[in-house]
Amino acid sequence: MRLRVRSVQNQGIPTASMADIAFLLIIFFMVTINFEVDKTQVFLPKTQIRLEIPKKAAYISITESGQIRVSGGEEISVPVHPEDVLSFAADVVARDPQKAFVLKADKSVPYRYVDGVIDSLKQAKAEVIYLLSEQETIDSRAEEG
Amino acid sequence: MKFKRGTVNDEIPTASMADIAFLLIIYFMVTTTFAATRGIDFSLPQEEDSPLVDKEESVLIEIQPGGGLLVDNKPLLLENVLEYLKPKLERNPMKPVIIRANEMTEYGYMVSVFDELRQAPDKIGMEVKNVSIPTQREINMFWY
Repeated sequence: MRLRVRSVQNQGIPTASMADIAFLLIIFFMVTINFEVDKTQVFLPKTQIRLEIPKKAAYISITESGQIRVSGGEEISVPVHPEDVLSFAADVVARDPQKAFVLKADKSVPYRYVDGVIDSLKQAKAEVIYLLSEQETIDSRAEEG
Repeated sequence: MKFKRGTVNDEIPTASMADIAFLLIIYFMVTTTFAATRGIDFSLPQEEDSPLVDKEESVLIEIQPGGGLLVDNKPLLLENVLEYLKPKLERNPMKPVIIRANEMTEYGYMVSVFDELRQAPDKIGMEVKNVSIPTQREINMFWY
């Protein structure tokens, strides 16, 4: 009597589609990556209202000690003297009158620094400022409260 | 004499493709920073739509250095500001509200007040349409 030959099972894990999956992930990262023009480390204030900031917006960051950095939205931010914020903002507005400005200020910075920056933006005829913030949650409110 | 003809493999070797792709993924994952890209918007007045606000007819919210609020010179908690504004806004939906922070006040307190005013539609069912944040230069020039 002849016995049937037992079928040989392939024990390897099929990896043919691994490259496709990996390339899909790469495309996802390339599309969603957001190059930060300003890497200043600040503790942002927390708000419940948070709107999406337009891409390529100009950035003005203020650290807790009042140091100011600016970026027109395309290049990496550079430190400036508070009195030079007006000329920076005027230059940005002259190139694009609808340009949005993002104010990235530390929540502990004395208001006079922010006041000076807002005043420069008003004088430069900027239209809209976004006050960069983090999402306020019930936990964060309880911690601060 | 016999010559053996070598067979040429005409396929592109793709075995290392997955390795390269995963290295790229690791690069993107390490370098990606999830930046905060949201905030609270504040439209600045343009010359043509910036009438002078009469101090007597507006609601003045003063923010003290420790975060305490004086609303029309009366101390008030942040969570009670909208309740205070509600009857005034019912009479005049365009009631001007002025936020004035002390120069030593922490910026976070000013943002909290502004955020509270922006939440008015959810909390009291009406919008605070006319919010102004005068700067110290404007106060020196126009305040009377």
